Amino acid sequence: MLHSELKGRPILRYIFCFVLLILGAVFAEFFVRGVYKDVLILTAINAIVCLSAVVTNTFAGQFSLGFGGIMLTAAYTASLFTLPPSYKMVFLNLPPFLARLQWPFIPALLLGVLFSVLASLFFVFPSFRLRGHYFILITLGLNVIFANLAINLRDWTHGPLGIRNIPFYTNAWWAFGGLGLTLWFLDRFISSRFGRALIIVGRDETLAASLGINVLFYKFLAFLISSIIQGFAGVLWVHYIGSMHPNVFDLNFVFLIVAMYALGGSQRLSGAILGAAIVTALTHLARPIQEGFTLFGYTIPPLMGLIQVLIALILIIVMIFRPEGIIRRKI
Amino acid sequence: MINFILQQIVNAIGYGCILGLLGIGYTIIYGVAGLINFAHGEIFMIASIVAYLVGYLMQASFIYASIVAIITALCCGLLLNYLIYQPCIKRRSSVLTIFIASFGASVFLRFLLLMLLTDRRRPFPIPLVFEHVFSVGELRVPLKDVITLGISIVVVIITVYIVKYTRTGIAMRAFAFDKETAQVMGISLSRITTIAFVLGGSLAGVAAIVYGLTFGVVYPTMGFLPGLYGFMAAVIGGIGNVLGGFIGGILLGFAEIFTVAFFPPALSPLRPLLVWVILILIMLFKPTGLFKPNIKFEELRG
Repeated sequence: MLHSELKGRPILRYIFCFVLLILGAVFAEFFVRGVYKDVLILTAINAIVCLSAVVTNTFAGQFSLGFGGIMLTAAYTASLFTLPPSYKMVFLNLPPFLARLQWPFIPALLLGVLFSVLASLFFVFPSFRLRGHYFILITLGLNVIFANLAINLRDWTHGPLGIRNIPFYTNAWWAFGGLGLTLWFLDRFISSRFGRALIIVGRDETLAASLGINVLFYKFLAFLISSIIQGFAGVLWVHYIGSMHPNVFDLNFVFLIVAMYALGGSQRLSGAILGAAIVTALTHLARPIQEGFTLFGYTIPPLMGLIQVLIALILIIVMIFRPEGIIRRKI
Repeated sequence: MINFILQQIVNAIGYGCILGLLGIGYTIIYGVAGLINFAHGEIFMIASIVAYLVGYLMQASFIYASIVAIITALCCGLLLNYLIYQPCIKRRSSVLTIFIASFGASVFLRFLLLMLLTDRRRPFPIPLVFEHVFSVGELRVPLKDVITLGISIVVVIITVYIVKYTRTGIAMRAFAFDKETAQVMGISLSRITTIAFVLGGSLAGVAAIVYGLTFGVVYPTMGFLPGLYGFMAAVIGGIGNVLGGFIGGILLGFAEIFTVAFFPPALSPLRPLLVWVILILIMLFKPTGLFKPNIKFEELRG
């Protein structure tokens, strides 16, 4: 089953995860800096997004690519409330009450999560009607629509120029703490009554309905939970990077998340984290190679897009030879 | 005003033909193999770039460049089929696994070309003869659009003939309608999928030539949006229905060109959004398409 990692000894599993997360956070906060710190913290944030994808795509069986749009909504909402008023007065054209406002991180985070839940409503209703490839395409189209809206609402988002000066609230404790919280919640959730019912809905809707499970309610629940997690991750991301742009969560981002989700093992929570670690490390550590370098007198020209080519190649090979991902489901 | 509308109709037919040709490719592959070839738009892009390389850098004639481009597209379809889809089908991977693999293939091809050629826009080698513009009253009909329409109609007739009347085509339709029974009757899964990919790939090649004639530019990221619109055209026309796919493409071309033409200028940046909204509404409320799909309904819904 999905939650059988270290089965029978939950306390050991919790201690293991806790120690790992604390180690990661301490390492990221005190021992490393620069690109290595980015790798650690972005791994945690990407792992949170990936876990949210596991909720809808694996548990509920609704393959949604909509996390880009939902994260965009949450990130813009939260950053509008945490931006310093001096910046907002100059660059944005906001209603007066909003322009003078600067909230601390936690209320802005909650508001961002609330708006991401509202955005997820656009994905819930198509999921009631459509399945398979059609639903994938609808979510992809909704991503494009959200990005397009963000480009065009210039008064609120500063259009394609993007927003800067967003305060850096996210540190290693937030990122790894958020990951731990998400993991703990999902682990409790899938072994609860609701989680088991959701997994049945994902496997076979007709069977679920004949067992008296309200299919629509559980699809709704899956999108609710995943959008809360995605909103959380989006707000953390934007307050770590410190700037925002309508295209940051575009198709490339969606592809990277899908690669993480599928590489690590789409059937298990631990697979999402492994996939996030592999892909994030590859994206950030291979960047110097992509920008060109000189080796023993040979100049290697910049090869923009090398990272995506590599990740896509690995993804295709894994999908052909190990369709369930690196960490397989134990039955 | 009436001239303006007629002009828009001419433009819409030219644009719709491209989407229609792409849509037929999707409809054949989805109908037969039951999978979206997400890299279809990338095959289209590669064919355009090959036509540019052959026609512009090697100074070959337009006909020669087109033939090379179509053959390249056909080979791309075959390669994708043999390297990615056949192994997945043989291992009985789920639909989602194949979708993720084809998503990977699409990103791989797009960024490989981006890496080699950068994102610069390059001119498509249009012969000077084709630049002629007929004037019918005040209406301006470019010769390119006439040629586009001609090529498209010929290709559609050939494809419809193949799918409707040849033995292979009948086998393909039987396979799209009921996989198990068709296999019991002795139709080979791998053979019929390969044929579908050959047909789809060469249609993408023709679409690339037609696109190049209409828009005149070539760049590595050009395949993504036409690819998605092509799938939408296939959906509108009813999956598995070849003529429906083409007509769906034409309708989509009309929808896009007319929203662009008659939208208030203040809202003009929102145009791509409006096209997507129309498409999503069609998918939501008429997922079987406007024409009869040649596929079982349960498969369409999931």
